[in-house]
Amino acid sequence: MLLRILPTLTLGLLLLAGWEVYCLLAGVSPLILPPPSGVVRALLLNRSEIGAHAASTLAVASFGFSLSVIFACLISVALHFTPWAERGLMPLFVISQTIPLVALAPLMILWFGFGLLPKVLLVVLVTFFPMLLSLLSGYRQTPGAFVDLLASMGAERWAIFRRATLPSARASFLAGLRISATYAIVATIFAEYAGARRGLGIYILSAKNNFRADLVLSAVVVSAVLTLTLLGAIRLVDRMTAKGPEARRDA
Amino acid sequence: MLEIRGLTIRTDGRDLVRDLSLCLPGSGITALIGASGCGKTSVLKWLAGILPPGMQSDGQLLLDGARIAPPDPALCYQPQSDALFPWLTITENATLGLEIAGAAKREARAKILPLFAPFGLAGCEGLFPSQLSGGMRQRAAFLRTIVQDSRFVLLDEPFSALDAVTRIRMQDWLLARLAERPRGVLLVTHDLHEATGIADRILVMAGGPGRIIADIPVTTPQIQRNEAALAELRETLKSLLLKESPQ
Repeated sequence: MLLRILPTLTLGLLLLAGWEVYCLLAGVSPLILPPPSGVVRALLLNRSEIGAHAASTLAVASFGFSLSVIFACLISVALHFTPWAERGLMPLFVISQTIPLVALAPLMILWFGFGLLPKVLLVVLVTFFPMLLSLLSGYRQTPGAFVDLLASMGAERWAIFRRATLPSARASFLAGLRISATYAIVATIFAEYAGARRGLGIYILSAKNNFRADLVLSAVVVSAVLTLTLLGAIRLVDRMTAKGPEARRDA
Repeated sequence: MLEIRGLTIRTDGRDLVRDLSLCLPGSGITALIGASGCGKTSVLKWLAGILPPGMQSDGQLLLDGARIAPPDPALCYQPQSDALFPWLTITENATLGLEIAGAAKREARAKILPLFAPFGLAGCEGLFPSQLSGGMRQRAAFLRTIVQDSRFVLLDEPFSALDAVTRIRMQDWLLARLAERPRGVLLVTHDLHEATGIADRILVMAGGPGRIIADIPVTTPQIQRNEAALAELRETLKSLLLKESPQ
């Protein structure tokens, strides 16, 4: 485990050390570029406030992400069984991904207020499509021999889907889940940035307005930790539910 | 007896197989050989009820004179690959057919577990396919096929992915299993040695469109089948296949 993360850890530490030395030697104002030690200090001093905002962000992101997973699963199954609907709806889903968040987020706040709904909707909008695509692509990767075998045994379409198609899409689904999880926190922060009472987005906006680059970067560090937490949770679910060769992959 | 009457399979406006008729006895191995693309796998897939969506078919399938529509429980199919689901244990894989036919999990397990030892799979019950050798995987696939108690078994080049030694062992093993529980087997193969080595009858198919051009019984007893005894038969089959296959 340690050996696996060693290159990342070393590179990260080297970058931070370079950043620290640069700030020290170049005499850059901490208002413009605080050194990593300054960011850590600001994070420690404001931990309770940042923690409260982070908890709010995590709650919104998790709720929106969970809804998105449920929608993606249900809609992918519906599209799998109705190819004409997939042909009709996919272009619309693609178009939905071309809408700039910077335009949509303030409109959502305008339409739905400062509550939970606009933020959750934005998270769903951003995270739904990668998951839907990965599920549909996973379904298509089902080996033809598995489908033939079950059909020759007299299995109906749903039985074939449940026994062969769905398990075949597992790896693809998890890949989509990981991609969407990274988007979930960013989308929530963006939504909060456009207008919210709590959350890392509004905290970053307020810190920026007060010229506190150290607090902005502290919030960035926390958002990265939140994303890694979500990814860690997905990895845990992956390991707990893996069977066969996948279960022994990391053994 | 299983009988195919007037089978025609069409794809993209052309006949892949035209007006094919044949009978399969209730026991023994019938090998179906022919050049690639002549339609032998399509015939097998039609029998298994898994003809690809782009293909249309006409023809009748009769079991003891009564018309049936594939897929039918009287016929079970084993694809070219072992098609063992990697996320299921060998026991779960082997019980698939029984469960789909409506058996409860416990009932299916009770039926399958005593067969692990005769199939050379004792101790593999809880293992996953990736933990088995090629020969063992193939035996597990046969177990899944045989346990369905169908009267006819459709095999699509079941030994093609195995190395030479494992293939010979598996062929002997299959003959022994069929001697214990006789079934009618239709074996699609490219391998003349395999066809002449284990089949009781060889059907030669030619393409453009697919049809049977020879029906040759293999009368040499199993115990006397060696290179010398089968050389003449193999030469006959080879010349038939070469005559019907374009350069």
